[in-house]
Amino acid sequence: MNRLGKVFIALGCVAALAVASSFAQAKKTIKIALIAKSSTNPVFLSARTGAEAAAKELSAKYNIDIVIDWRTPPTEDGQVQAQRIAQAVNEGDDAIIMSCSDAAKVNGAINDAAARGVPVMTFDSDAPQSKRFAFYGVDDVGSGEQVMSELAKQLGGNGKVAILAGNQNAPNLRKRADGVRKEAAKYPGIQIVGTFYHIETPQDGAAEVVRVMNAYPDITGWAMIGGWPLFTKTLLTDLDPAKVKVVAVDALPAELPYVEKGIAPVLLAQPTYMWGHVCVEKVIDKVYLKKDVPTITRMELVRVTKENLGTWARQLKEWGFADVPEEYLKLP
Amino acid sequence: MHPTIRRVFNAQQSGLILVILLLGAILTIFAGSHVDRMTGRSVNNFLNFYTLTQTATDASFFAIMAVGATMVIISGGIDLSVGSIYALAGTTMAMALRSWQFSNPFVTVLAALILCLGIGLLCGLANGVMVVGLRVHPFIITLGTMWVFRGIAFVTSKAESILVPDALTNVVKTTFGSDSALYPVPMLVMILVTALGAIYLSRTVMGRHIYAIGGNAEASRYSGLRLGRILIGVYALSGLTAGIAAYVGISYYGSATCGDATGYELYVIASAVVGGASLSGGKGSAINAMLGAILIVLIRQAIRQLHFDQNYEWIIIGSAIVIAVVLDQLNARLTLKRLTKG
Repeated sequence: MNRLGKVFIALGCVAALAVASSFAQAKKTIKIALIAKSSTNPVFLSARTGAEAAAKELSAKYNIDIVIDWRTPPTEDGQVQAQRIAQAVNEGDDAIIMSCSDAAKVNGAINDAAARGVPVMTFDSDAPQSKRFAFYGVDDVGSGEQVMSELAKQLGGNGKVAILAGNQNAPNLRKRADGVRKEAAKYPGIQIVGTFYHIETPQDGAAEVVRVMNAYPDITGWAMIGGWPLFTKTLLTDLDPAKVKVVAVDALPAELPYVEKGIAPVLLAQPTYMWGHVCVEKVIDKVYLKKDVPTITRMELVRVTKENLGTWARQLKEWGFADVPEEYLKLP
Repeated sequence: MHPTIRRVFNAQQSGLILVILLLGAILTIFAGSHVDRMTGRSVNNFLNFYTLTQTATDASFFAIMAVGATMVIISGGIDLSVGSIYALAGTTMAMALRSWQFSNPFVTVLAALILCLGIGLLCGLANGVMVVGLRVHPFIITLGTMWVFRGIAFVTSKAESILVPDALTNVVKTTFGSDSALYPVPMLVMILVTALGAIYLSRTVMGRHIYAIGGNAEASRYSGLRLGRILIGVYALSGLTAGIAAYVGISYYGSATCGDATGYELYVIASAVVGGASLSGGKGSAINAMLGAILIVLIRQAIRQLHFDQNYEWIIIGSAIVIAVVLDQLNARLTLKRLTKG
């Protein structure tokens, strides 16, 4: 063998060793698609923060590389969500976590994903008739009941109440609205004036509240099954806390002034950060650790009032919310 | 150059095809690959049957509507109500099938088809009659009916998400014996509707009349064309294509809601415009509208596959539309200059 041949053999051996060692050291990558309802809704941005934090923690714990693949549409559209599921599967994502804008629209896509070996877990808004392997979220009827029960306490069991209900196609919100009505029926002095739907943006939510208040000036309570309008400052001046009380689901930083001013004496917070965090944990349990995962994991609502405003503000700060007002962080 | 090749390269759509191929090539090179969990083989993230079929499926709902909308645009009008016609046709069909509960799948599919297409046609006719009869600009009429049709869908369906019978989904998601998750029917319907639209526009007298009206309405009137009848027909066809898109889309996804196809009218008009249709009328083609829809969906796909921040999607699509129209106008001016010199 000539000298050139020997050099090639030596180089080949070095290359083979390098490739073998890189394979030995290569971390397993698990790519998880996150498809929330809308990328303009802050609650889903906090879910993303939670998912990314869990991915970082579990990557270090199991020496794997967990990647969160954010595929949330800019606006709510069940059809677009179904398309995003198919794209995630086609591009080799290992699992999908999602909140369904319209369960009926995504059932087929979830079933196709499952048939092609990609497990799907839902959070916040479920698709119970699909082949999703698990769901993490609140008991929607129960949370609606809790909203009404808290509001009834604030109103002393009497008054005219409006329900703010967000997107009329979201099954979780419909159930929460049902829960509010069911609970209201227990109070003879409470009259529901109507259920009001709107596009789930803060501005549309606030505009709807103002419109309804103009149409029904004698409303004394708002049962908000999502906190959309409280992400704006409009209602801080448009609602008089002496005349109207609000109880809402969610308690993100922008909503805290409503608690302080007494317009919303009680907010029922969904720890939205945990949507992402818990779902990533469950997906890793199923996909990597091959553990059994319970089909339903319930999320408990956290009751936020003036008394625990400081504690809750600090919790939000810990979860990565950058916009928590400084004055609340200093509260006891 | 060989005359056939020259004809192909001179064709309006060659530029669009070139851009689509270029974007496809970029995606193939840069989108990366993954290991297929079923076969264990490495698969390109873009150039695989699943992604290509899915891209065509996503484009099909816009493209089918864009064929009808292009006819309206060629006639010098605009139809903003196509998304709402989609929603109304879909929810009405779903509610009717829920109450009728046919046991025979063939009857179910046929009834659904007749209902969806019939409602689409009726809505389109209503648009046409109002545009012609009331002599109000089509932008205003269809802006109004956009809300009216969606409002009717909202009130009648009570904002429910209504499941459609499996028979419909089975037809639209048939695999023709291929792998379980390849569903080519929406793509085939898109091609069929586009082909019929292209033949209608370029090979029939009625189609040529639409160009004539859009090019010069007064001249068409003096040459004896019945403008009103032609315009009503154009809006009816636009409604019909919205009905077809609704049938395919709602059967594919398995449910109908009043919120379906919200905002799609803008994608539909964008598809026609990117495809070279002139909003001042007289210019456009069904094939180009389909290519425009595919291009828009490909741009959306590229944003995700190339890992750009998806929050830039609207900026990129908006810019692409403006660039496409500017380039088209530049091309038209250059052609005119060349012809004048010649």
